[in-house]
Amino acid sequence: MDLARYAELFRTESREHLAEIETALLALERDGDPAHIAVLFRSTHTIKGMAASMGYRAVEHLSHGLETLLDALRSGARTVDADVIALLFDGTDALAQSVNDAVEGRGHVPSSPGLALLERLSSAVDTTAATARSSLPDPTAARHGTASPPNGPQTAATPVATPVAVQVATLPDPMLAPALLPQDLGSLELSDSMVAAPAAMAERLIEIRLSPDAALKGVRALMVLGRLEALGTVRSMNPAQHTWNDDSFDGTFTIALGTSSDDAIIEAAVRAAGDVARVTVRQPAAGQRERETLRHVRIDLRRLDTLLDLVGELVITRDRLVRTTDTLSDCSVDRAAGARRETDSAVTARALADRAQAERVLGTVVHDTARLISALQEEVLRTRMVPVGQVFDRFPRLVRDVARDLGKDLMFVTEGRDIELDRSLLDAIGDPIVHLLRNAIDHGIELPDARRRAGKPPKGRLILRATRDRAAVVVQVEDDGGGIDRDAVLARAQAQGLVDADVTSLSDDGLLRILARSGFSTAASVTSVSGRGVGIDVVANRVRALGGALELATVTGRGSMFTLRLPVTLAIVRALLVNIGGETYALPASHVIEALEYDPATLLTLRGQETVTLRDDVIPLLRMRSRFGLAQDCDEGTHVVMVEAAGRHTALQVDALIGQQDVVVKPYDAVYGAETLFAGATILGDGTPALIVDVGSLT
Amino acid sequence: MGSRTVLICDDAIFMRTMVGDILQAAGFEIIGEAETGVQAVERYLQLRPDLVTMDIVMPDMGGIDAVREITKQDPAARILMCSAMGQQALVVEAIQAGAKDFVVKPFQPSRVLEAVNRVLAAA
Repeated sequence: MDLARYAELFRTESREHLAEIETALLALERDGDPAHIAVLFRSTHTIKGMAASMGYRAVEHLSHGLETLLDALRSGARTVDADVIALLFDGTDALAQSVNDAVEGRGHVPSSPGLALLERLSSAVDTTAATARSSLPDPTAARHGTASPPNGPQTAATPVATPVAVQVATLPDPMLAPALLPQDLGSLELSDSMVAAPAAMAERLIEIRLSPDAALKGVRALMVLGRLEALGTVRSMNPAQHTWNDDSFDGTFTIALGTSSDDAIIEAAVRAAGDVARVTVRQPAAGQRERETLRHVRIDLRRLDTLLDLVGELVITRDRLVRTTDTLSDCSVDRAAGARRETDSAVTARALADRAQAERVLGTVVHDTARLISALQEEVLRTRMVPVGQVFDRFPRLVRDVARDLGKDLMFVTEGRDIELDRSLLDAIGDPIVHLLRNAIDHGIELPDARRRAGKPPKGRLILRATRDRAAVVVQVEDDGGGIDRDAVLARAQAQGLVDADVTSLSDDGLLRILARSGFSTAASVTSVSGRGVGIDVVANRVRALGGALELATVTGRGSMFTLRLPVTLAIVRALLVNIGGETYALPASHVIEALEYDPATLLTLRGQETVTLRDDVIPLLRMRSRFGLAQDCDEGTHVVMVEAAGRHTALQVDALIGQQDVVVKPYDAVYGAETLFAGATILGDGTPALIVDVGSLT
Repeated sequence: MGSRTVLICDDAIFMRTMVGDILQAAGFEIIGEAETGVQAVERYLQLRPDLVTMDIVMPDMGGIDAVREITKQDPAARILMCSAMGQQALVVEAIQAGAKDFVVKPFQPSRVLEAVNRVLAAA
């Protein structure tokens, strides 16, 4: 049996179980309910079974180690405490990594961090209880002539000396068979990745050599460890920590660390412990954990059936179209003229009648075709839609880890997980959301003491919310922290010359514009978690590149809320076509409020900005021809399109309105260094190209 | 700003003098001494020195317990542990109790000062 073709399926299934494990771990940490342990055990056991069938020994060992620990927890031989939970989290991470390694052909030998973890797992289990169970049946091992360890899993899980020597029986696991047979899968898919590392966390392997004449090397190594623990999560140590106090310890050791700090910071921290002769920081060789965006989507089989039906009907209409046009050409005027020459008026009349009939039929068929094509288009677009929950699911773990690292206590809530978003948009908003979440935890939510002093509950609230709004999907990151310090930002902006000295306060919008300038930061200290202070410029740029908009609302002392407005789909956009300077441009309908004409008598210039009065409001006027740098030779007329961007209205003066239609968005590469006034391009029905205006960047 | 102040804790006059000389030569001001763990805690709270040197073995509350008690009252306390050779496990305990660094007897002035600087930089 060729196992290779099951590899992807193994990975997909394992990922689902790993996601379940992570959810159950988070829940267990929160409420300590033993029911979660059963879930953990089952999922781990399933992964073990699948791995065994695939011959993935490393994965099998590791999952077996976890399973043994979970078994001890299940039976009460070991109680659930913070240490055990931390160990289980580490174990899950290691398991995810080993699944990837195995599928990509890298995991034949358990890695040294993997072995270290196995040791931690086995030492966490109470030996007397574990020997009572035997989870690895020996019959096949005995058949193969391998020595079967009498006390079952305990020794099998500590193969420190000879990692590959442990023979593992391939079990006929009843839980395994259905998972590997694709025949009766209810839905056709390979699902995308749901297990992902927090975006900016990286794995580092730090090799340390203490000074040869350093006294009490074990203590010194411990101090190095302490410093590194402050920078991230220690994955493993080599040699094992308990050997550091031995006389034979020579002061050379390696620590694997998950961290978002720079290498330079890591090195400095190690050296600050003292007596360090050499330290090197490098990326681990055996594959980093990368967030893979598999180019697959889940599709409901019923949707595929609908698509197939539509295509079937289109095929029929196509045939009708062909027949009708054939009939039409048969009924051509020349033939009728020919019949007239035969002086048979009846033949002529019949020919003309046939033709009129054919034309009517043609009209119907074309209408039907148009209707079917629209329906088809809509269905295909829907298959690209994916619930945001898929991206939201990886955040609880991230938030927990970041909050713990920073000593913040908070409750994380996600809302609107079922809201759907275009697949490619979903891939793209992951990083911006991570940025905003980290910011909220780092700079927004205060430490518990500070919150108590401010009369707030010590537990902060962080909400990630998705909702629909007309033609946009709205994602919000809301915290009940201290809000953004407007005065500090204003002072800093004034010091940098970004804002006039006579401005006394900033609106939320003004605040956001300043924060979104690259390099701007008011963070007094750079924390390792969110790096250079804010990073909002990155978020703003990314959101804009997707055709969306970023908004900010903040109240000092009460909290902040960042709102990302994103188009529902990137592929097709409803647009208002306008003529500016003789060329056609498309304005996305999601930003268009109204198209109307203005009364020139209401034209005013206030503080250097032209305005007109529309529907009793004074609205800034933007003359699009001059904005685009086009010639302003002839009269511009009074057509304006009122648009909305970032909560503000602007009137765009255009030469003419053409009409509304759906346009297919094609990517657009601006000339390097030019202003990014356009969010894309499209080809119109007559074949001419039109640029799609990025309304948010006009002002 | 003035020079940095030190509290020296050791039950042997000889050791206190030696450490004191090394630190004074480097510009530190010795503002107090203690012979027992209990005295160490009392004098720390009274004098609030910038730095404390603490011997591991002392009568009437050992050095490690003193470290623990001082750190409990002042988490930012900067304590340098002084130990003899072969007391690795005790030094580990001292670090875990809150000491920031350690030096081993016999003292080499350069090493002591390096360690002192690390302790002062750590907070």
